Order: sequence, then structure tokens, then C-alpha cells
Amino acid sequence: MAKVVPRPDLGVWERLYIGEIVKGLMTTFGHAAKSLTNPGHFPTLQYPEQQPDIPRDYRSRHRLMKRADGSPRCVACYMCSTACPARCINIVAEESPDKHIEKRPVRFEIDLLLCVFCGYCVEACPCDAIRMDTKLAVLVGGDRAGFVIDKQGLMDWKPTDYPADDTQSQKAPGGSLNAAALQELKSGSDH
Amino acid sequence: MIHDILLWIQNNPYQLAALLLVPAIPLIFFNILPLLVVMERRGAAFIQDRPGPNRAGIWIPGLNTRIRAFGMIYNACDFVKLAFKERFDPKFASSFGYYAAGPFIPLMVALIVPAFIPMFAPMAYQSEQGIAWLMGTTISTHSGLLALFAFSSLSIYGIVLGSWASNSKFSLLGGMRASAMMISYEVSIGLAAAGMFLIVGSFDLAKIAAWQGQHTWGIVAQPLGFIHFTVAMFAECNRTPFDVVEGDSEIVAGFHTEYGAIRFMLVMSAEYYHVIVASALISTLFLGSYHLSPVPLPLGHDGAMVDLDDQWMRANLGPVIAVMLGIGAIGAAGFAYLINGRRVHYNRSGASDAGTRAKEYLIYTGAIGGAAVAMAVGAIALAGWHPQPVATVGGVPLWGGLVDAVTAVVQFHVLVGKILLVSWLFVWVRWTLPRFRYDQIMALGWKVLLNLALINLLITAIIVKLVQ
Repeated sequence: MAKVVPRPDLGVWERLYIGEIVKGLMTTFGHAAKSLTNPGHFPTLQYPEQQPDIPRDYRSRHRLMKRADGSPRCVACYMCSTACPARCINIVAEESPDKHIEKRPVRFEIDLLLCVFCGYCVEACPCDAIRMDTKLAVLVGGDRAGFVIDKQGLMDWKPTDYPADDTQSQKAPGGSLNAAALQELKSGSDH
Repeated sequence: MIHDILLWIQNNPYQLAALLLVPAIPLIFFNILPLLVVMERRGAAFIQDRPGPNRAGIWIPGLNTRIRAFGMIYNACDFVKLAFKERFDPKFASSFGYYAAGPFIPLMVALIVPAFIPMFAPMAYQSEQGIAWLMGTTISTHSGLLALFAFSSLSIYGIVLGSWASNSKFSLLGGMRASAMMISYEVSIGLAAAGMFLIVGSFDLAKIAAWQGQHTWGIVAQPLGFIHFTVAMFAECNRTPFDVVEGDSEIVAGFHTEYGAIRFMLVMSAEYYHVIVASALISTLFLGSYHLSPVPLPLGHDGAMVDLDDQWMRANLGPVIAVMLGIGAIGAAGFAYLINGRRVHYNRSGASDAGTRAKEYLIYTGAIGGAAVAMAVGAIALAGWHPQPVATVGGVPLWGGLVDAVTAVVQFHVLVGKILLVSWLFVWVRWTLPRFRYDQIMALGWKVLLNLALINLLITAIIVKLVQ
């Protein structure tokens, strides 16, 4: 059973074209005039000079959270690399000098070419050590090795780039809450 | 020898001007072409709510900014790219030279056509034989428009030759479509323009232009003819909505599928040059050519109605220039204001190159604002210039070289302004209407336009006979 699409019933004026063409011309002229006079009218961006406004909860490149003394919060529990469906996280653990913490990562690498940016690692992490809120949506590398980001790269972020109410980020060195957090860490009540 | 030449120039300035017009008119028209390309690209972009090509620029080291000139730099880039690309001949194309000759013919023909179009009103001057006239056209014949149509329809030979010699199915189909369109719409073009011939009583474009100054513009006398002619001209130029000659999904690029590099550039130049020529023809036949006003205005003594013909323009050259410069100054000031708005907006957007762009926009604003001020000053300075004829021989006033030259420049600018407006219509329609199907084009051409043009011609003929 074919579906019958009713043809629009055109009047004489519409079949004359001219009036309808003038209507169409007016529509496009409106757009052209707006584009010419109002520079805020374009929905497009002058990329890469202008960057898109990426929301904070956009799953972008990972970062490793830091304690107040600058060491990674990661305890090398392998939860993230176990949860990872792409198997892109490579962790090598060693014994932590801190007697309260069992392990710490000596290597923490993420292969961004393998990563599918699903966010399971963030969900899996028991101590909020890995996050995906850097807003880095465009990743550049010269070769395959260039896309493997190591521990230093993952910890290379500034607390000033994150909002003031992100207390975990602000506790890192350079953050607004760092002094208080450092005090707390030294008094030994953080764990 | 050189002394003789200089002496001849001194004694025959009008003859020299007539000689210089021969190369000048096609070249001046050719210089509208880059403007048209920018108009097409940026116009298309603005209609589609995007900024359009705005990246290519020339870096100015001292000022540490780049000048992008509203997308004009792209023309230079395109030229360099296409001119220095390998000139590639397909193995299957005709090796005799038909293939190579194809793209030249439309451009050559298009360069000839402006020679028939009057750029300014005829100038009277004193020669040894008495009063002589310097016409505004390079080729001044009684068959004017007929000769023009004869030449402009030759360009299809280039298209068909090139497409056939390319030895490719896509090219041949495109060429066949082009020739079919040309044949169908040439008829309508002739019949649409015939109303103007009947009213004016001459094929000479100079006479048609002069008639429009004395009476009224063609669009008022022949509104249906204007619409027919414009529609047929769109088809003749293979522009949307009649652009079946090219079709990405059907016949690739149509007749110029096998052409690359500088030959492609020739084909595209000819296409855009045809748009300019078509705009010039529409302006000349229906939009009053070089005349300022479509109706007589109450500008005479005691509010008497006067025709704004070329004699009136010469007698009131100062005020005319003042008004035109005033319009130009307002336009330039508005443009400078818009550019300044862009600068403010871009600064606020937090882009990484806001500094260099702000400098660039400031340069534009300064240059265009300066031009606006200069035009305003010029308008005020020239407003009181009312030239008098230097002599009157046999009832024909002679105005002298300076007044004639300035009048010619003013009239030419009026015509170029109209050409640019009609060219914008071509661009505007292209980005508004979807294309017609091939059978719809043929139906419109043969069943609608032809009949309406015939009816229009009949009614015009009856009215002209009754008025006489």
C-alpha cells in the first residue's frame, strides 16, 4: 500500500512564481542584511582563534588529581584500567613511602588513540584520582607515541583553570585551598 | 614623428578619446569581475549566515597585522594557483586544437559585447567638417543590439566545441544542454527586447539609452519585457535557477569537466563576464542606462519638470557630482561604522588573534572613513559648479573637453552602479532559488515566456501605433 502524498493545491498567484520568488528573495535578503550589520548573528566560530565553549562535564582529555603536596591521588589500584573497555590505561605500581597508603603509580599512561572517552575510568576510581574535565577536545600528536600521555602529562594542569567551587582541584599546589589542605595533610588527618 | 603625434593629440582630444575607448571598455568591464567574484562568495556566505572566505591575507610586517581586503586576496590566490597549475590535456581529447580553443571563444565573445553598450551620452565637438559626435559606444551602428545578440550567441559555439572536443560523455551532455538552453531562450531574449525597439524605433543602444533619458526608463515602459528579459538573461548566463549546464550529481561539471588549470579559469572568467555583460544589457535596455532619474523631476526654474538628460547634467554638473559623492560618503561612513562594529564584537569574543584583527579593522575604518570625509569635502567643494557651454554651433551646445570628460565619468559611474546592483540580483537569486528540472526549463521557455513575450509585443505594437 503506497502512501499517497497530497500535492499542495497551488493558486494562480503561486503558480505565477513571481510573487513567491520575491518572497524567497526577501527571506534571503533578511539573512544577508543581518549577517552584514550584526556580527553576532553568525552561528559559526572563527576556529581556531575562537574556541567553542565546552561545558565542564564534557568528557575530554583525562587528568590525574593531585594531593596538596603535589603527589598523585592515585593509589594504583588498577580499578580504572580494569574498567576500561579499550584497555588504554597502563599502570605500573610501586610501594608507597606513605605508611597509610599501600601503593602509588610509578608509571600511569593513557593511549589516547585507543581511548574511547567513555568515562568508565572516572566512574571506577575509588579516590577521585582521575577526571575527564580538562576541556581539551582537540588532541594533537606527531606520531603514535605522541598520543600516549604519561603521568607527568596527566598531572600537568593548573588549579587556576578550574572553578573556585571545585575544592578537590583547589587543594592542589597553586590552588586557593592549597595552604589549608597542606596544613591538614601535615597534621596527618587527611587519610 | 613624436612631435607630430603629440600635436595631433593636442588638436584632436575627442578622436584620441574615441581611440582609447576601444581597449578601455572591455578592460574596465573586466575589472568588475573580481568584485563580482567576491560579491558571489561573500553574498552566498552572508545569505547562509556564515562569514565566508576571510582567511587569505597579506601580512604587513611593520604594522604586525594582515590585510585581508574583504576576501579580495582570494582572487589573487586563485589566479596564481590556476595560472601555475599544470596544463593537462586528456589523452582522449581532440588533439587538433579544438579542445584548446574551446574556452577562449566564450571569453573573446564576451569581451567584444561591451563595445556595443553606451557608457555615456554622445558628446558634441567641433571638427574640421563641422559638428561631430563622440558616441559612448566603441562600435556605433544602426544594427546595434542585433549585432550584439549576434556576437553574444556566438559564445555557445565555444561551449559546444569545447565539450565535443573533450570527447567525454559528461562534457558532451553539458554542451548539448547549454546549446538547447541557448536556442530556447535566445528567442525570448529577442522578443522581450523587441518591445523597446518598437517604442524607441531603433536598434541602436545609444538611441535607446537617450530615449530613456528623455521619456522614462524601460522598466516603466515595458515592465513585462523587463521580467522576460531578465529571466531569459539568467538562462543565457547559465545561472541558477537555470544552471542545468552543470550538475554535480548528473554530469559532473558539465561542458568544462575536462578543463583544468588556466583553461578552467578562462571558462569561469567567461561565465562571470557574461553576468557582467548581461547586467550591463539589462541596465542599458530597462534601467535607464547612464541616466539618473526614471521620471522627469521638478528641478527647473519655478519647479518646472525637466528631463534629467545629458544636457541638463552638464549644466548642473556640480550638484549632480555633489549628490553622488554625498551618497558615496554616506555609504562609506556606514560601511566604516559596520567594520568598527565587527572590531568591537571580535575584541569581545576573546579570540586569540583579537589584537591583530583589531588593528586590521582600524586600518579599514580609517581608510574608508577617510574616503567618506574626502567625498563629503569634494561634494561641498563642487556643489556650486554650473558649467556654461563654450559655444553653440547650429543649435548644438559645445561644452569643452573638461566638462565632457567629467560628465562621461559621472555617467559611467551611474551605469556601473546599476550593473553592480543587477549583478547582485544574479547572486541573490542564485542563493535563493533551487534549480529547475530540465523539462521545467524547456516548458517555461517555450510555453510561458515565448507566449507572454509575443502577447507583450503585440500589445506594445498596438499602443505604439495608436500613440503615433
